[in-house]
Amino acid sequence: MKTVSLLVLLLGLSILLPAQEIAPLPKDETGKYTYYEVVSTTVSQDTLKARIQSFIQKQKKELKTAAVASTKELVANGKLVIRKSMAMLSHPSGEIAYRLYFEANNGKYRFWLSDFEFFPYQKDRYGNFVLSTTVGIPLESEPKKWNADQWDEYRLQTSKYATEFATRLKDHLLNKAVQAPQPPEKKVISKIWK
Amino acid sequence: MKNNIAALSFLLLSTATVAVAQEKASPLEISGSVDTYYKYDFNKSGNIKTFFAGEQNSVSLGMIDLALKKTTGKASFVGELSFGPRGQYESIPDAAGGYAPTANGFNIQNLYINYAFTDKFSMTAGYMGTFIGYEVISPAANFNYSTSYLFGSGPFQNAGIKGTYAFSDKVSLMVGLFNEWNQYRASRGVSSLGGQLMVSPVEGWTAYINGLHGLDGYGNYSTVIDLTTAYQITDKVKIGLNAADLSAGDDKFGYSGVALYPQYAFTPSVALGLRAEYFNYKGISGGPSASVTSFTLSGNIKSGGLTFIPEVRFDNDKDFSQSFFKSDGTTLNKSAAQFSLAAVYSF
Repeated sequence: MKTVSLLVLLLGLSILLPAQEIAPLPKDETGKYTYYEVVSTTVSQDTLKARIQSFIQKQKKELKTAAVASTKELVANGKLVIRKSMAMLSHPSGEIAYRLYFEANNGKYRFWLSDFEFFPYQKDRYGNFVLSTTVGIPLESEPKKWNADQWDEYRLQTSKYATEFATRLKDHLLNKAVQAPQPPEKKVISKIWK
Repeated sequence: MKNNIAALSFLLLSTATVAVAQEKASPLEISGSVDTYYKYDFNKSGNIKTFFAGEQNSVSLGMIDLALKKTTGKASFVGELSFGPRGQYESIPDAAGGYAPTANGFNIQNLYINYAFTDKFSMTAGYMGTFIGYEVISPAANFNYSTSYLFGSGPFQNAGIKGTYAFSDKVSLMVGLFNEWNQYRASRGVSSLGGQLMVSPVEGWTAYINGLHGLDGYGNYSTVIDLTTAYQITDKVKIGLNAADLSAGDDKFGYSGVALYPQYAFTPSVALGLRAEYFNYKGISGGPSASVTSFTLSGNIKSGGLTFIPEVRFDNDKDFSQSFFKSDGTTLNKSAAQFSLAAVYSF
């Protein structure tokens, strides 16, 4: 009985803990959801510039450069695909477009993700999910009562994505090499008698 | 020669699929829709005979549509099955290639494999929803519930192999070899050649120029030229257009028509749309043509996955080609009108 209770408790905690970890992004002074971070660095400005561009090139399926304002400023358009369910069986229900702003200054750089807009998907004639409109709905829009849960989910998925994106970006700018786990060396089994 | 090309392409697809077997796989996607409707014809008859929503004064079935999709590396497949009148004998051929309501059906809307050789070039082989036309079989992808004369007259599906090259986000070209239209297997070999040019001149505006020549679903060698375009002008206003011309056989009979689809969204959940259509049946061997005009006003009221579609439709058949009847059921009438209310749930 105690074992069952312990299992139930652990299961409950496993459900509750991830829910507590993710919260919607904070809003900036204009009322837009924003992920904002300032990072101190020893990397030179030119190197940062080259690395942010290589980062965008590496993530070309989700990021495209929109403008390079100066040697230290860059704006890129990005998107993340929203899935209807996080379970194994799911399908995309839309995408959230956003803008990445990047600025470098002496010994520091800052970046922020903002201008989040949701674009719903619909299924096309070939059974694929595609954009149903080219006009997005700002993530800050107040949802109707019947789709409030959906919008909460979109905001949480955006927040989770922004946090993971920031980690990826910072690692790349630091040029932190990602060490892929090496597969265990295969032993050659000899089947000869001697 | 065409058979050789198709066989070689299938072989390439198969080889490529094996090569990526170890690559990263996406979760299996399951999606679909369910729809049901009520229709009332003001002359108490099943007058308007375009596909779907045909049963008079009855709460009737559309279909349940189930689609599976999986991507592994650069390869993906889609399998889409549909069960119910809309997804069986009203639009999908049965095992024998016919549309008999009592026959056992294959129920296949889509069954194909795609391989993206590069970011720009992909090939697809199998049985696919047609690339011709504006409206589709699934009610979840149409604004109006009833369908146009253009939809009902054009091909529904094409089995074959096609390659698509994207020159940029704004221009792509598809070329393919296909069986005769709406058939799972070829009776006279791979007999059709088709192509589609997609252009997107400005953001929100996409146009597809389509052409298909080959054996149609009625045993004639036909050529269809089709323009399908839609422009999201503002967040509230969208306009679509479909124009097509089909010439069949040596007599060049067939049809031509145009349909305009203006839509206005009051909110993201409530929209109103009109379909205004002119359709002309070309006379056989120089015989007289017959034309029909149709106006369909539909609402889309969405709540989560559910969409209600109230709809009124007025058709005018000045040449008596459609056999519209007055309420006595025997006297021919030039016009027909109907109201329908459909519920479509997408998941």
